[in-house]
Amino acid sequence: MSSTSTLPRRGRRLPSYVPWLLITPSIILLVALIAFPLLFALKNSFYFWNLQMSPTPMGFIGWGNYEMALSGGLFAGALYNTLLITVVGTAIEFVLGLAIALLLVRQLPGMSVTRALLIMPTTIAPIVVGFLFRYMYDPGGGLIPWLLASLGIPLPAAGLLGSSTTALWAILFADVWQWTPFFAIVLYAGLLSIPSDIIEAARIDRTSPWAMLMRIKIPLIKKTVMIVIMLRFMQLFNTFDLVLVLTKGGPGASTRTLGYSLYQYGLVDFNIGLASAMTWLMVIVVNAIIALLVFFAFKELD
Amino acid sequence: MATQNGRLGTAALYASMLLLLFVFIGPIIWFVLLSIRPADMFFTMPPVLVFTPSWDSINYAFGDPGNNLPQLLNSFIVAAGAVLLNLPFSLPAAYALSRFRIKGRKHLMMWYLGLLMAPPVAFLIPYAILASAAGIKGSYLSMILILQTLTIPFSIWLLRSFIDEVPVEIEEAARVDGASTATILMRIVLPLILPGLIVTSMFAFVFSWNNAAFPLVLSNRATATLPIGTLRYFGTAGVTWGFIAAAAVAAMIPPMLIFLALDRYVVRGLTFGSVKG
Repeated sequence: MSSTSTLPRRGRRLPSYVPWLLITPSIILLVALIAFPLLFALKNSFYFWNLQMSPTPMGFIGWGNYEMALSGGLFAGALYNTLLITVVGTAIEFVLGLAIALLLVRQLPGMSVTRALLIMPTTIAPIVVGFLFRYMYDPGGGLIPWLLASLGIPLPAAGLLGSSTTALWAILFADVWQWTPFFAIVLYAGLLSIPSDIIEAARIDRTSPWAMLMRIKIPLIKKTVMIVIMLRFMQLFNTFDLVLVLTKGGPGASTRTLGYSLYQYGLVDFNIGLASAMTWLMVIVVNAIIALLVFFAFKELD
Repeated sequence: MATQNGRLGTAALYASMLLLLFVFIGPIIWFVLLSIRPADMFFTMPPVLVFTPSWDSINYAFGDPGNNLPQLLNSFIVAAGAVLLNLPFSLPAAYALSRFRIKGRKHLMMWYLGLLMAPPVAFLIPYAILASAAGIKGSYLSMILILQTLTIPFSIWLLRSFIDEVPVEIEEAARVDGASTATILMRIVLPLILPGLIVTSMFAFVFSWNNAAFPLVLSNRATATLPIGTLRYFGTAGVTWGFIAAAAVAAMIPPMLIFLALDRYVVRGLTFGSVKG
């Protein structure tokens, strides 16, 4: 780990170990906290181990856990649910957030208060958002079923969270409520940074509002757009808290996301071997996605 | 810009603003009202907005018997502990990453960012088994330690963006005058980056405060944080919504206040310093 380091401009040279002396402690602690457990999980993924039966692994079974996860459809089902809410959720939140940002940019009196209040859903812990929506979804007098019924929209008898056709969308709706403001506020900041003379010039050229948005505004805030979409995509991919509170992965396995599956197999069923195999499958998928995102979207960051 | 809207346009804009507030703030108010509703009105439909408040739920949660009061304290201990422990690691690293041209700096920053996007449950389960073996499961320390996987990368990213804005010339001048690196750090750099350090710490506090996956698995009855205590109300016979709301609203308040206080930095905090608000 040697490097030549200088203070930018005019600074006298410092020994090259100085910056590493400052950085290394953080790397060591993080590697200890993450790599060590993951290696432990890698070993466990090749063993049969039920924590309720034994405090130590109970026998080497090679690829058995992986076969169970992959051929049993456990992994594929959870991956499908996860990708569905991640892709759809990120898209909805981005579009709605952009629409709100375009409204906020109009700078009317009272807008700054609206903006400060609007971010409130995003500040709340996702698990608390789970509590809030479980109350609002309650089939026995929750606000949302009442609203929908008032509008004449038919509801599943088991409630929105109790029916496998609606439960995943109910989770997604809670997430959209919490995170749309995040997109709105960040994209608003991006839109504000566009020099007004560019907008003025386009207006003089009679550019249509749609062309203005697609050809001028969005390209100018491309970096911000990339960042928020990427961050949100990954957070949604790891969704856990909302599922825990709203459905526990049910009904059946209809809302089992990858994050929740790991918890279910590892800490509800205590099948550490299977949970560890699922963990590694998820780590591989997450790393592949991050690599793609960094490769395509994040080159110009930093 | 507002001048071009015309009277009708302005009215439409204000109408959409009110609609926005209704959609995004309404549910929060609805939940706050639940914590002061009389028990027989939890599920009264059509919605009743005006009623004589009952303090029973809040009293039960935080007064007598006040089961949620120690959990509120636990949330503070864990979040504050996570912030305090992360500073000696992230502050020097952020400084070095801002001030020195290090080989592989970009990759290192990406590595930190990757950790922020890692699935927490993935390393949480093996960590829990290892913490059990080490005899620290259930302790504040086990939660504070694993929270570093979030607080350190987050603080390094956000702090670096603040340090980048402090002109380096001041440090260089002091170095030319023969000041030692330690003196420069303590006497010059630290006071200059203190505002950024405070903002970063407050966001890291919210981040830790709002984390539920770690305490869900690692805490025990005595160290459970507020959301975990709230979750227990679902296990009891008949869900006690008033108590849930009282405890959950208490968990909402600190992050909301911190975000309102840091309004100027919210965009930066939420994007880890990569978008300047």
